[in-house]
Amino acid sequence: MSIERKTVDRRTLLRGALAAAAVIPLSSTLAACAGSNSDSDDDSSKGGEKSADNPFGMAADSTTDAVIFDGGYGTDYVAFAATIMQKNHKGSTVKVSPTTEISQELQPRFVAGDPPDLIDNSGENSIGFATILDQVEDLSDVLDAENLEGTKIRDTLYEGVEAPGTFDGKLAALNYVMTVYAVWYSSSLFEENGWTPPKTWDEAIALGAEAKKAGKYLFLWGKEAATYYQTLAIASAIKQGGDEVRLALGNLEPNCWSMPAVQAVFEAMGTIVDRGYMKPGGAGTQFTAAQAQWSNNQDALLYPSGSWIENEMKDQTKAGFDMKGFPEMIVDDSSAMPWEALHAAAGEPFQVPSKGKNVPGGKELLRTMLSKEAATNFAKTKLAPTIVKDTVPADGFGSTALVSQTDMLKAAGPNVFTWTFVDLYGTNVDQLVVWNSFLAGKSSVKELTSRLQDITDKVREDDSIKKIPVT
Amino acid sequence: MIESPLVPTDTEKAPPRKKSRRSWTFDRISFVLVFLVLPLALFSVFVVWPFVQAFWYSLTDWSGFTADMNFIGVENYQKLFEDDIFMTALRNNVLLALVVPFVTVVLAFALATMITVGGSTYGATRGLKGSSFYRVVSFFPYTIPAIVIGLIWLQMFDPSNGLLNGVLTAVGLDGFDSFPWLGDERTAMPASMFVIIWGFVGFYMVLFVAAIKSVPGELYDAARIDGAGRFRTAFSVTLPLIRDNVQTAYIYLGILALDAFVYMVALNPGGGPENSTLVMPQRLLVTAFEKGQFGLASAMGVVMAVATLVFAALVFTVNRLVGGRPEGVRG
Repeated sequence: MSIERKTVDRRTLLRGALAAAAVIPLSSTLAACAGSNSDSDDDSSKGGEKSADNPFGMAADSTTDAVIFDGGYGTDYVAFAATIMQKNHKGSTVKVSPTTEISQELQPRFVAGDPPDLIDNSGENSIGFATILDQVEDLSDVLDAENLEGTKIRDTLYEGVEAPGTFDGKLAALNYVMTVYAVWYSSSLFEENGWTPPKTWDEAIALGAEAKKAGKYLFLWGKEAATYYQTLAIASAIKQGGDEVRLALGNLEPNCWSMPAVQAVFEAMGTIVDRGYMKPGGAGTQFTAAQAQWSNNQDALLYPSGSWIENEMKDQTKAGFDMKGFPEMIVDDSSAMPWEALHAAAGEPFQVPSKGKNVPGGKELLRTMLSKEAATNFAKTKLAPTIVKDTVPADGFGSTALVSQTDMLKAAGPNVFTWTFVDLYGTNVDQLVVWNSFLAGKSSVKELTSRLQDITDKVREDDSIKKIPVT
Repeated sequence: MIESPLVPTDTEKAPPRKKSRRSWTFDRISFVLVFLVLPLALFSVFVVWPFVQAFWYSLTDWSGFTADMNFIGVENYQKLFEDDIFMTALRNNVLLALVVPFVTVVLAFALATMITVGGSTYGATRGLKGSSFYRVVSFFPYTIPAIVIGLIWLQMFDPSNGLLNGVLTAVGLDGFDSFPWLGDERTAMPASMFVIIWGFVGFYMVLFVAAIKSVPGELYDAARIDGAGRFRTAFSVTLPLIRDNVQTAYIYLGILALDAFVYMVALNPGGGPENSTLVMPQRLLVTAFEKGQFGLASAMGVVMAVATLVFAALVFTVNRLVGGRPEGVRG
């Protein structure tokens, strides 16, 4: 049990010297390892003939390499499009590889100049957009191309779907899935109790009192998803205060969180927290467990989330829940946008790296995905609409939430908006902490405001972070 | 290395005693190649080199997704020490390194003593009745992967449906109804520490049991004849004799506490309330892959490595100061 240990003696010193001698020559060869790369983008230039069937000039018998985030939507919808593409272009092959860690898996490939031809840069481990902005294609030519049915793709899409993927005027990512952000509720429960979805925060507070009488809460939250309430607050503030609010927040302006519209919403939320309409303990509850308390136990009436919520909680939703959504509350009638205005953003950003071996192949796969057959297949199997319009029938494939999403989109018309600054600068992690404290009643509206402002200011004042102006 | 006079060589004209130890026979060359050059090369390429590389990156503004990087000196380190969130993470790691090894080693030592020498004072020195049962049971947590331990306790600590609050409210402590153990700034860190300690006490107990077993029983008999009680025996006989094991355990636990990544990610992926359970590797991962600042993340890695080395040096020094054998002397 006693192993001989020695202080540094002559032998150790020699050993050290030997190790150093071995490292030094190696270092010169390996120094070239990460620091440089062979520019291998010349492959992408040798494309095939451009034609109506092949608008991007994909080379014949080429291989397209697609790496797809394997999250809530899986990857089979890309494989479905890949099959169609292989049928349309005999001899070409499409390789669809699933991954849950986009960033970790692709980081070495980006450095080596050998990225895939199409990536779905999504999920918890996605690559920050600003990081690879210079290394991806502008996808406007995909929108200008015709789909497989011969209609210009741009004309088949919902309003505003380019916004979340446009940075500095460049369409760096095409978000494929239409995500509607709303407040979700059980329509059957509401009917039973004669409740109606609140349109203003005052109505929401009144509903909170009703909920309390019924032994329930108005809202609940889970610790990883506390910022869903930030999303709700920002959307509500933008509807109340208009574009002014959206631009101030997006451009990280000083005192942007102190704008009257933002403050009015924060105050209303503070009232809800203070009156105990928020189910306690959220800061220590895993978010899926919290969501199940809403969808299965019905401890709370409302839950703000994106439209993925139905799919996410499919196995933990009470029978006959009849999930529906409504647009975020406004403060009062003087709001800049109507209540029907909707925070909707296309999600699942697909990107085509410029250094991919087969850039036209990546675009061709994207074009196939945006065509009727593949888009309808997505809506049907995932119960979520893509950015392609009119793929959901009136019965919503039997899903009340899907029908209510299409209804909300229709009612909103052109009043669809979104913002990207949270994802763009990766501040969600820091904001989660602030929101968890606020929702738990541990910090006041004033503290919430100043701490969110600190996070914003920190990003603005850090010169090493590239800022992308919002217009 | 054993010299082998049995192997005849051509050069053996001189008397065997004067045979040069440096004659490069095939035997010797192949030995050096296989046992020295090869491992050293592997070690250099896969261990030393990445360290050197990480240190170099920490001096650049590399984003991690391009081949371009600029040398910016120690700017990353300056930024780190001005970053309040990273400093919180560093403080949390230091707190873990102070508490977790100490509590785990004390508990493990106490249990090991009970199991091996804490039994009846009549007859031969032995442990408590049923000690082998306790030994096996307390080892159980170590056989479960860390991430599973984290997930199990996540369920136990759940405010609404967790076992802990269920038991507490059942015995009448209504104040714990929906109490967020992992979501309250005051309890999140102690609760997380508890989980780590829970997982490791058994293993280090078994380690100490093995060490105590190798202590000659006569020493205990002699101590007992001299009138030493259980405490006196534990502190004056057992502890000095297994000092090396305690030191090793302390360093291992310290390295673990300066990382603690898996437990913290399982219990509080976001860093906990007010970042009270955020540890450096969590921040590193976010900085590298989410924020695309590999240079800064490498600097964090270097800080972690330095913290670990400092910790090991401290443990060695303390052990020496309180009367451990000086380095290099055989026991």
